[in-house]
Amino acid sequence: MTITLDKPINSIKPPKPWAKRNKSTVVNNAIAVILPTVVLGILFFTTEIPGPVLVVVVFFPLQLLTAGVTSFMDKGKRGIGDSLLSVGCVSAFGLVVALLGSVVLSVIARGLPAMKFNFLFQNNIYISPTTELTYGGIGHALLGTLLVVFIASIIAVPLGIASAIYITDIKGRAAGFVRFMVQAMSGVPSIVAGLFIFAAIILTDVVGFSAIAGGLAYAILMLPTVARTAEEVLRLVPKEVRDAAVALGSSRARVTMRIVLPTAKTGLITAVVLGVARIIGETAPLLLTTSNANNTNLNPFRDPVSTIPVYIFQYLGSGYQTSIQRAWGAALVLLLAVTILFALTRYLSRNKKGNV
Amino acid sequence: MDLVAKFLLPLFPLVTSVTSSLIVNPEFRRTSVVGLLYLSVMNQHKTVSTSTLDVPGNTPTPRYFGREKSRTKSDKLFSGSIIVAALSSLVILTAILLYLGSNSWPVLVEQGFSFITGSEWSTTDGVEIFQIWPMLYGTFLNAIIGLVIAIPVSVFLALFIVFLAPKNLSKVLTVVIDILAAIPSGIIGLWGFLVFTDTAAKWGQLLNQYLGWIPLFANDQEQFARSPFIAGWVLAIMIIPIITVVSREVLAQTPQELLDAARGLGGSLSGAIKMVALPHARGGIVGGVMLGLGRALGETIAIFFVLNLIFDVNIYKILNPEGGAIASMIVAKFGEATPNEINALLGAGLILFIMTLFVNLAANYIVKRSQREKLA
Repeated sequence: MTITLDKPINSIKPPKPWAKRNKSTVVNNAIAVILPTVVLGILFFTTEIPGPVLVVVVFFPLQLLTAGVTSFMDKGKRGIGDSLLSVGCVSAFGLVVALLGSVVLSVIARGLPAMKFNFLFQNNIYISPTTELTYGGIGHALLGTLLVVFIASIIAVPLGIASAIYITDIKGRAAGFVRFMVQAMSGVPSIVAGLFIFAAIILTDVVGFSAIAGGLAYAILMLPTVARTAEEVLRLVPKEVRDAAVALGSSRARVTMRIVLPTAKTGLITAVVLGVARIIGETAPLLLTTSNANNTNLNPFRDPVSTIPVYIFQYLGSGYQTSIQRAWGAALVLLLAVTILFALTRYLSRNKKGNV
Repeated sequence: MDLVAKFLLPLFPLVTSVTSSLIVNPEFRRTSVVGLLYLSVMNQHKTVSTSTLDVPGNTPTPRYFGREKSRTKSDKLFSGSIIVAALSSLVILTAILLYLGSNSWPVLVEQGFSFITGSEWSTTDGVEIFQIWPMLYGTFLNAIIGLVIAIPVSVFLALFIVFLAPKNLSKVLTVVIDILAAIPSGIIGLWGFLVFTDTAAKWGQLLNQYLGWIPLFANDQEQFARSPFIAGWVLAIMIIPIITVVSREVLAQTPQELLDAARGLGGSLSGAIKMVALPHARGGIVGGVMLGLGRALGETIAIFFVLNLIFDVNIYKILNPEGGAIASMIVAKFGEATPNEINALLGAGLILFIMTLFVNLAANYIVKRSQREKLA
């Protein structure tokens, strides 16, 4: 087959996508960036309208408009979509960073004044909502939270990972059903988990308000998170790895325990940590299952135990200045705990030799 | 007997050593009667070298994976214990239904259908009336406001992380989203109550001032704190990371060839995203949204602090300080509840539970359908 050209070959100009942007692109981009900002600045300094309102009412629509128009001038119709996409993306980014920043900064700024040495190690006996911050603390609540989360983990992690293995590795007849059940369970509201444990264990006098009841309620919330994340992680284990293990003659149990789980180790750790992060700040189920205490209680089977979320709830409800400071302090500790958990996962799952 | 003892016993080690040495020889194994006998006994649990495969009864024991039944004992034990553990979610769900149902049944029967449709809750004067319609409706109103805010933000954010942002920025953003997801609802509630409510109330006032002619933004209470609008924002903060994480994951799995092909055909980036990435990721995004909805319906403590619970249904005035949420109502009423009231609260929890179950059912259905369409 021959290619016929209607022009001599050396008269066709290649498009050269790697060539430098022409001047009009640069000018257009500059207009799209500078114009809305300048308008925002002028309005901000000349009128009385508060800044955030200007950003939402003036800056954002104007930015959309200029970006659309300039990219239309530059690239034609195709450019409009691209420019609106990038404006939308950056705006969403800005909004989320602003919200997260507000939460984190206010917790740090308002929680730091409560951070005294005693705050981390003392418990809450003889402390009233108006007691000075140099007395009392969240020591008992810290231990209580650790206890409850530990109980929840030893129940939920094996069950969750087993559910994931059943779905991805065993692929039994009920795999779809189990998957569906796990999915349905992930929708169980935290308060319902608390109500269930309350009705099943506390109303029937098996145990009273106690850490074990709280741990069971937490486990219900943790299981689906662990199972779903673990399932996704196990799915990422290449089929070739499984096939190779089978071809070498290993049994099903061995393939799963020695090949699949170690391959997905970092992902499974992430699953566990996500599960812990999901539950560690849940207040509602604990209000109904562990109740609250002022003393340190390490017996999981008897007597109410205090936890950090419930401590925050308790002091936020009482409304005095110092008690609200205590609540912020406890929130800061909770946030620190979550951060440490996260740093831990990052450290554990740092990439060694391109793990999955 | 003497003869046997004298001649055969010394021969025994000789015979065994000869036969065993012959058995080691694959030629002998395949051709002699002794060899075949040996193979049929020994090879039941062993794989053999391929050279002996053509002999009948001499194939390696197949291992069944997938839906086939496993054959060995250890496999049976393993999969049995895994199945038992995997069914725990079924057991728990059934137990929740049974316990909440059996405890609240008397109250539900006594209150009748108006438990759901009525709007009064009172234990005074010896008459106990438990009706949850305003709370039920309010739960959905809050969730819908939250979703309306969260869906566009999260989808754009996921697109930003996957397609637009420079690599370093998208790494940072991933961490930021993870942190946001990990912030406990108690802290969000604290922040919402002491920090966010003031700001949001001002915005509510502005909305009412300039857009008050829209019925949605009407306000007849001259007070803007503790409204469903604020509750919706607080919910949105909790939903955004959920939807973003799921969308980001499915978007990142868009086949690069398809994207390249779309770009190579002259499509813009937004065109490629619209025609390739979003359709590919639709099921996952819907799944994420449904996950977020489930979270929003059941959120308790954060809503408890930022919303005024009123037993009078507020249909659309999202800036009015009147709202409802079943979960928060349960916490609010639980402390000083009479025994009968506790059973009514268990009933409310049952309804919340069934609702979220149905949401998940719908989520499953939608995700599956979109996947089927993708295959077709």
